[in-house]
Amino acid sequence: MARMKFLCDAERCIECNACVTACKNENEIPWGVNRRRVVTINDGSPGERSMSVACTHCSDAPCAAVCPVDCFYFTDDGVVLHDKDICIGCGYCFYACPFGAPQFPKNEAFGSRGKMDKCTFCAGGPLPDNSPEEFSEYGSNRLAEGKLPLCAEMCSTRALLAGDGDTVSEIFRERVTWRGASGFAWGWGVAYNKPGIRRGYDVEDKATGGD
Amino acid sequence: MLWSLLLLFALTLLLPLIPYAVAYVNPDAGGVPNPGSELWREVLNANVGATQVQGIDSGVLISEYGERWRQYRMQQLAPWGASVLGVMVGIFVVYYLVRGKIRIEAGRSGKRVRRYTTTEMTVHWILASTFVLLALSGLILLYGRWLLIPLLGASGFSVTATVCKLLHNYVGLLFAAIVPIAFFLYLKDSLFNLKIDGRWIKRAGGYFGGEEPSSEKVNAGQKMWYWVAMLGGFVLITSGLSLDFTNFFQQGREWLQGAHVVHTIASIGVIAFFIVHLYLATVGVEGALESMLDGHVDANWAKQHHDLWYQELQAGQDSAAPEDGLAAGGTHAGGVASPVVKD
Amino acid sequence: MKLVKKQGTDVATVHAAVLGATFDRRTFLKRSGITAGGIAAAGTLSMSMMKKSAATERTPTDEGNPTQIRSICTHCSVGCGIYAEVENGVWTGQEPAFDHPFNRGAHCAKGAAVREHGHGERRLKYPTKLVNGKWTRVSWEQALDEIGDQMLAIREQSGPDSVYWLGSAKHNNEQAYLFSKFAAMWGTNNMDHQARICHSTTVAGVANTWGYGAMTNSYNDIHNSQAILIIGGNPAEAHPVSLQHIFRATERNNAPLIVIDPRFTRTAAHADQYMRLRPGTDVPVVWGMLWHIFENGWEDKEFIKQRVYGMDEVRAEVAKWTPDEVERVSGVPEEAIKRAAQTMAEHRPGTFIWCMGGTQHTVGNNNTRAYCIFQLALGNMGVSGGGTNIFRGHDNVQGATDFGVLSHTLPGYYGLSEGAWKHWAQVWDVDYDWLSNQFDQGSYEEAGGQPAKPMNTKGIPVSRWIDGVLEDKANIAQQDNVRAMVFWGHAPNSQTRGAEMKQAMEKLDLMVIIDPYPTASAVMQDRTDGIYLLPAATQFETYGSVTASNRSLQWRDKVIDPLFESLPDHTIMYKFANKLGFGDEFCKNIQVTGDEPLIEDITREFNKGMWTIGYTGQSPERLKEHQQNWHTFDYTSLQAKGGPSNGDYYGLPWPCWGTAEMHHPGSPNLYDTSKSVAEGGLNFRARFGVERDGVNLLAEGSWSKGAEIRDGYPEFTDEILQKLGWWDDLTAEEKQLAEGKNWKTDRSGGIQRVAIKHGCAPFGNAKARAVVWTFPDQVPIHREPLYTSRRDLVEKYPTYADRKDFYRLPTRYESIQAVDYTGDYPLIMTSGRLVEYEGGGDETRSNPWLAELQQHMFAEINIVDANNNNIKDGEQIWLESPEGSRIRIMAKITQEGVAPGVVWMPFHFAGHFEGRDLRDKYPKGSDPYVLGEACNTAFTYGYDSVTQMQETKCSLCRISRA
Repeated sequence: MARMKFLCDAERCIECNACVTACKNENEIPWGVNRRRVVTINDGSPGERSMSVACTHCSDAPCAAVCPVDCFYFTDDGVVLHDKDICIGCGYCFYACPFGAPQFPKNEAFGSRGKMDKCTFCAGGPLPDNSPEEFSEYGSNRLAEGKLPLCAEMCSTRALLAGDGDTVSEIFRERVTWRGASGFAWGWGVAYNKPGIRRGYDVEDKATGGD
Repeated sequence: MLWSLLLLFALTLLLPLIPYAVAYVNPDAGGVPNPGSELWREVLNANVGATQVQGIDSGVLISEYGERWRQYRMQQLAPWGASVLGVMVGIFVVYYLVRGKIRIEAGRSGKRVRRYTTTEMTVHWILASTFVLLALSGLILLYGRWLLIPLLGASGFSVTATVCKLLHNYVGLLFAAIVPIAFFLYLKDSLFNLKIDGRWIKRAGGYFGGEEPSSEKVNAGQKMWYWVAMLGGFVLITSGLSLDFTNFFQQGREWLQGAHVVHTIASIGVIAFFIVHLYLATVGVEGALESMLDGHVDANWAKQHHDLWYQELQAGQDSAAPEDGLAAGGTHAGGVASPVVKD
Repeated sequence: MKLVKKQGTDVATVHAAVLGATFDRRTFLKRSGITAGGIAAAGTLSMSMMKKSAATERTPTDEGNPTQIRSICTHCSVGCGIYAEVENGVWTGQEPAFDHPFNRGAHCAKGAAVREHGHGERRLKYPTKLVNGKWTRVSWEQALDEIGDQMLAIREQSGPDSVYWLGSAKHNNEQAYLFSKFAAMWGTNNMDHQARICHSTTVAGVANTWGYGAMTNSYNDIHNSQAILIIGGNPAEAHPVSLQHIFRATERNNAPLIVIDPRFTRTAAHADQYMRLRPGTDVPVVWGMLWHIFENGWEDKEFIKQRVYGMDEVRAEVAKWTPDEVERVSGVPEEAIKRAAQTMAEHRPGTFIWCMGGTQHTVGNNNTRAYCIFQLALGNMGVSGGGTNIFRGHDNVQGATDFGVLSHTLPGYYGLSEGAWKHWAQVWDVDYDWLSNQFDQGSYEEAGGQPAKPMNTKGIPVSRWIDGVLEDKANIAQQDNVRAMVFWGHAPNSQTRGAEMKQAMEKLDLMVIIDPYPTASAVMQDRTDGIYLLPAATQFETYGSVTASNRSLQWRDKVIDPLFESLPDHTIMYKFANKLGFGDEFCKNIQVTGDEPLIEDITREFNKGMWTIGYTGQSPERLKEHQQNWHTFDYTSLQAKGGPSNGDYYGLPWPCWGTAEMHHPGSPNLYDTSKSVAEGGLNFRARFGVERDGVNLLAEGSWSKGAEIRDGYPEFTDEILQKLGWWDDLTAEEKQLAEGKNWKTDRSGGIQRVAIKHGCAPFGNAKARAVVWTFPDQVPIHREPLYTSRRDLVEKYPTYADRKDFYRLPTRYESIQAVDYTGDYPLIMTSGRLVEYEGGGDETRSNPWLAELQQHMFAEINIVDANNNNIKDGEQIWLESPEGSRIRIMAKITQEGVAPGVVWMPFHFAGHFEGRDLRDKYPKGSDPYVLGEACNTAFTYGYDSVTQMQETKCSLCRISRA
């Protein structure tokens, strides 16, 4: 059975935020809730890298483990979903998630957060597939239509991949091989006396830029 | 021959370590470091990055603390807490079966003395009820998943948990208000007297054999309970408020995880002690509960359990003090002739 | 089954009752720390989290089979394909177009959010008029009547040049073409569009180097590049999907990526080499690289000998740019320059990409020519993987430029000569005299020693429209000041000198804004009357062709009907034309239904006139066929492999020679002699004469494959055909029209057909010229910016002399540079783009999905400058410029994003003005979610010496805590 995964290739992500807006578009997410976000490390410096992150649909999901009401469930494809009708908005899944995937529509006094919302791998929720109720609560169910999450389908550089874990790994492995052949492989830079081919790490930045 | 063999042996062990040593001293000595490793090192250090999405912790790509918290809560805290509470309950079940209720040895005298004022009682019951609600709701939130879902079903438990969460979050504020009041209200009575309370503790309050040692209005055990409850309460309040009101400082996950752990440990601790208090105040000791129901206790009860206080009461009554035990208090702050101490 | 969206309230359960009422978004936003104010005004949320769209109800359908409509994104010139899913006339879904050859389904943040155009919550909904400071709804009829009457009165009093028609890069081709015609028939050349302030220097510089001023290869062709150099461009944010193609080269070809930019951008983050230069020093850097190339003999001598004129004069100039001098002026050290030069020399073919960083300068035309000369020196032109791949901006800026929505030319770059006008009068089927009489008959300047009429003189460009209003009319080469301004799909905050613009707007008699959104024009001035807002439909609410940066034409289908009371631009034009008295001439041969001209007829009409750049073969039928067969076009070569369009290049990139019947496949890579012209090959255009100073300007020993003339030749005329003995290859009908004409004016297309039949390029075969003898600087040289931080270089590299009449206006150069502002304004100020927003920004800031991601206008400041001014990250600062303007913005501190001494700002914001929040001044419900200061309120005077392009990449400023 396919096991659905995301993979974001940090060498290709250019922080264009298409994945973020594609998700908002497809699932009609309101202002303030962001199922997906792009995080940039070392912004503005050599070594800057970006990655798009949302729920990674962990096999051993911490969110599911800590939920007091056990509202999470796993589909056959390995997608981690939850039932908003059961969710009590306690926020524990947000504490536990390494990726900060759970989102809440409000942040008010007395721990009032509203129902947790998160990336569903465009697989909707426990309500009937592609029903108006499912769309209203959970957003789009593309998996039921045989499609993949829109964020990955619309990624400008194909940095974000989504789909069966084996296929995604295969695509990425092929990509790494291409890059390896391009001298990006570990150690090839030295072996072939081309230390410069390291994508942003080896930069000439002695210009003053000012006066 | 032997030495050469030994030398060879030593070299085969040592020589391969040299590159490691070099690498340790100079990690880049091997050549081009893997650029990816630098990135992941920074990511795993929860290095906050830049993001256009606004939200709590949105700049953190991956935080390992979440998983740590999850492991700790699920593998350690929750089971440990259950054990502690279970053990506490078990202890008293056994104690009751073995020792039974601690009776008023001299029997009820019929004469009743004032022990607590209306204020003290009111505060106590507010404190008690809020605490019980909080404790129960908290325990349901912690353990309900395993204990109650099988009973109530997922939807049913969701309603229960929602109620518990609301209760916990709102009543928590009440608790936060009442604890400081209680703290100051009972403070004087709860200060330790090293000699008297030391003796009491050495003799385990007489619960495990031997005569019940002297105690003031409030015995050492009760004082300990006071301090546990108050200090624990303080910890519960601070951690609880920071969990309850994330909108004030936009606290991030690490803060909340820490607060949650502290909150849980403190709550287990206080509940454990509470079990002691509950037992003794209700089932375990005859004549104890009424002190909080109408503020009076039987004189013989007082003589038996809080002899020093009773003596002072008598002395106070001689000087035509009002029946309000508080005015006659000052039993331990000094200024009164040292009472007769039971041996 | 396709989804349908539910209404607001939640599933009624016990939970809902228990959990209480719907929460308030305003409270959430306030408490969660997101700025309140206008954002909080953005509606409420329902418990179920999914927001109901106000403008469009998604109603349930039983079938749930949406119609799939093919369109093209309207945000940038990459031209990504879109599948729009529509149910019951409502735009309910957006699917990736995996089969589209340009993007293969990919988008950037803006493209992924286009469906919001179907929501249109902050759109201008109906015609609106400002009355006594209040926005009042009016009808289309009333608005057109009043506006028309006022314009006719102004025309009567001051002449037609007093009404300025500012057009748009967002018109589709048919609308752009119609707009040119409209302005011509109104009788003025005072019309322009965004290209002026974007790539006008590119078009001028590049066209004057080798014939055409457009992207020579394509985004997809970059797959074949062995090296990529990007200067003054940040495609990772401005053209994100182009990175898909760039990465193909960097990953599979091991192509090194070199980025030259004052700022360490997101593109630089993926580069192999990054060079930081002082803003405004492009020529020193490029000449510096060329110095190493000549020094080491890396140039392609054969290519230069055959196909380049004037390289020796360039050598002489380049020799002055020794490594020391380059470093002194630009700040880039020798090893970096040499390494870049060597990389480009060793990895050929390499492509050269630039954007606004190179074009928006007083010496923009020098910069663009320097880039071209660099590629010529290396022989990187006319090869797949090479070329000058100029990334254009808006979705149809290429089309609007090609169709002459410009103050200095008619459609097709024919210019403004009498011959050009006669050609177009013929195409438009109107009497030349009638057309000529529409113009002001006076004369206000001279050309070639003779009095010239406004019809034949360049009009005022958009970068200077405010001077058309404010300048003393005695100094302007037209009858009177500009009195009425029509902002048709053009924001004001993309032009400089905002404070003066406010004054200009207040001085006008009349302002008309025709746009899907009110734009900052509606609010930045303090008028109380005399403004009309007319709602235009977006390109998703109409259909037609659009030209991507790589010169491919793409056909869009209509996704939804115009929202609210908006109308498509061509309908509005026709209504105006009627009111202003030339409706019949306007659509003489174009069918009009109601008030809407038929798009296909417009396409056919320009197919009959655009011979110069080959917009003649792209008939509506061929374009629609391409649209339906996206999947048949190859990802790298863009050629259809089989299928109905077999052999065509996607979009029939111009020049697509001859008539549609000739079935030319389009020219994917310009000047590529490895293919025959019939197959899309070409050579450099013979545009500048046959010889100069005794030197042959035609190509020598180089010709396109299969050419029967195996050497250089001039452009084709009827006489040349006769001389060659090919005249009789024309049909009788063709001969009739071709008699006395050349390849540009022969409306039969026969001359082109016959030339190509014999393997020749209709426009001749010449050398590219490295020396443009008609430009102020014949060989590109360095000149310091007007507001320069390096006073020590002004003497050696001064700017131009002041000019009295340049595009009708006095234009200052040295009188501004003469003043030393560096004491009070020590920081260099520059500007650029953000990926979430586009252009003036009102459209994208009205899209909540995009606006949420960039909520504040900011300036990127180096930590050293921040500390020197006691400014912390996120604080509000005042930024002031030498012309007296100030803006209040947020400081974003960076360690090395910009160098110390440089401040960078995005230009997309508007709605604040010098510290004032203007949100209340927008018509109710049409204020964008996010407002901010426009950086161009602070940007200063400075215009390119050939095109009047504004200098928004280097000025001076100072910052202080607010």
